Amino acid sequence: MIAIDIISDGLFAAVAAMGFGAISDPPLRAFPYIAVLAAVGHASRYCLMNFLGVDIVTASLVAAFIIGTGSVFFGRKVFCPMTVLYIPALLPMVPGTYAYKTVFSLIMFFHEISSPTKGNEYLQEMIFNGAVSFSVLFMLAVGATIPVFLLRERANSMTRGSKFI
Amino acid sequence: MTQEYIIGIANFIARYLSYMLGAGVHTSRVVRNSKRIGTALGVDVSIHTSQKTATLTVSDHDGQVFSTKVVDIPAFPISFEWNADLSALSWAAHDEKLSLEAIEHKFDEIISKPRMNPIFVLFMASLANASFCRLFGGDIWAMLITFTATMVGFFTRQHLTRRKVNHYIVFIVSAFVASICASTALALGIETAEIALATSVLYLVPGVPLINGLIDITDGHIQIGISRFVNAFMLIICIAIGMSVTLMLVKDSLL
Repeated sequence: MIAIDIISDGLFAAVAAMGFGAISDPPLRAFPYIAVLAAVGHASRYCLMNFLGVDIVTASLVAAFIIGTGSVFFGRKVFCPMTVLYIPALLPMVPGTYAYKTVFSLIMFFHEISSPTKGNEYLQEMIFNGAVSFSVLFMLAVGATIPVFLLRERANSMTRGSKFI
Repeated sequence: MTQEYIIGIANFIARYLSYMLGAGVHTSRVVRNSKRIGTALGVDVSIHTSQKTATLTVSDHDGQVFSTKVVDIPAFPISFEWNADLSALSWAAHDEKLSLEAIEHKFDEIISKPRMNPIFVLFMASLANASFCRLFGGDIWAMLITFTATMVGFFTRQHLTRRKVNHYIVFIVSAFVASICASTALALGIETAEIALATSVLYLVPGVPLINGLIDITDGHIQIGISRFVNAFMLIICIAIGMSVTLMLVKDSLL
């Protein structure tokens, strides 16, 4: 049962990454690798959060680092710069529900502005959700960028000798 | 090295870098690639970039003959294909010692390739948002509603963009349209309606400018990095505005 959960999590993340990637017009040859990276990244975040009890921010950082490292090795195969592979793969990890709750609490705060207790609660909720969504977004970008600094030479010559131009 | 030759190279590199920056490539890659083409043609290239314009100077190694240009950066839709292939072009120029004419010819070939079919993109984006809904714990009905809502919202976005409407307005309107479609889940009494509502606008998240902004800042191109970051942040605020209109309309059924 646990295995099915993990696999389905990876599968849906792969579909999401390919779909969001399609908006940015990637080369067709990149799609399979985007899917693999997204599935591995999201499934590892799922495992970290559900089985090891890691918080969402740290888990996102680790998953983004895995995606970034993977894109260094896959990028060479399809002659794509790392960003082409890892940006779509990161998108399924965007903290959507937290971002939504931030906006929702803000609206409710305006609505309850004359009642000090309820207004306070909503404001607190907004700051809580806003902090989580901002930190996760920031950590996603940082985690995926670290491998670029560690493997600079390799990361900068991904498209050398491309057969696709 | 004659002045005409230098001007020819400057004109080409100006075009090359404006296309790359316009299509959403991070700055250090654009600068590196442009310099690589310059090296391949035997000239020095120095570049200054900002959000809307770029300045470049092409000179011979003694600095006796040079040409300076300021180029406007056109606003292209983001294209990873250009990113990959134009980067590969700079390596081809470097490794195969191509002439300026050969490079220009290949450049024109790459940029005239057709983009992905918009209907295919529409379908993929909707499918993506539906699976996203599943990742957040939505059930099958929530997924179906997210799929439809995204399709309507994304269609709106594509059409408004084609009509050259201001992109902030495009984001507000498409976020509103997608979320109001998803709010039908509330009326239908679906258990995970709130998740459908939350995911319906996520296809708009400007992931590329956000991450590019951060990469630029860490690479030391801090000015353009902050510009891109602010740009992406403005778009996120627009998504929030569009969604708040829906939330104000339906908030009573959410409590």
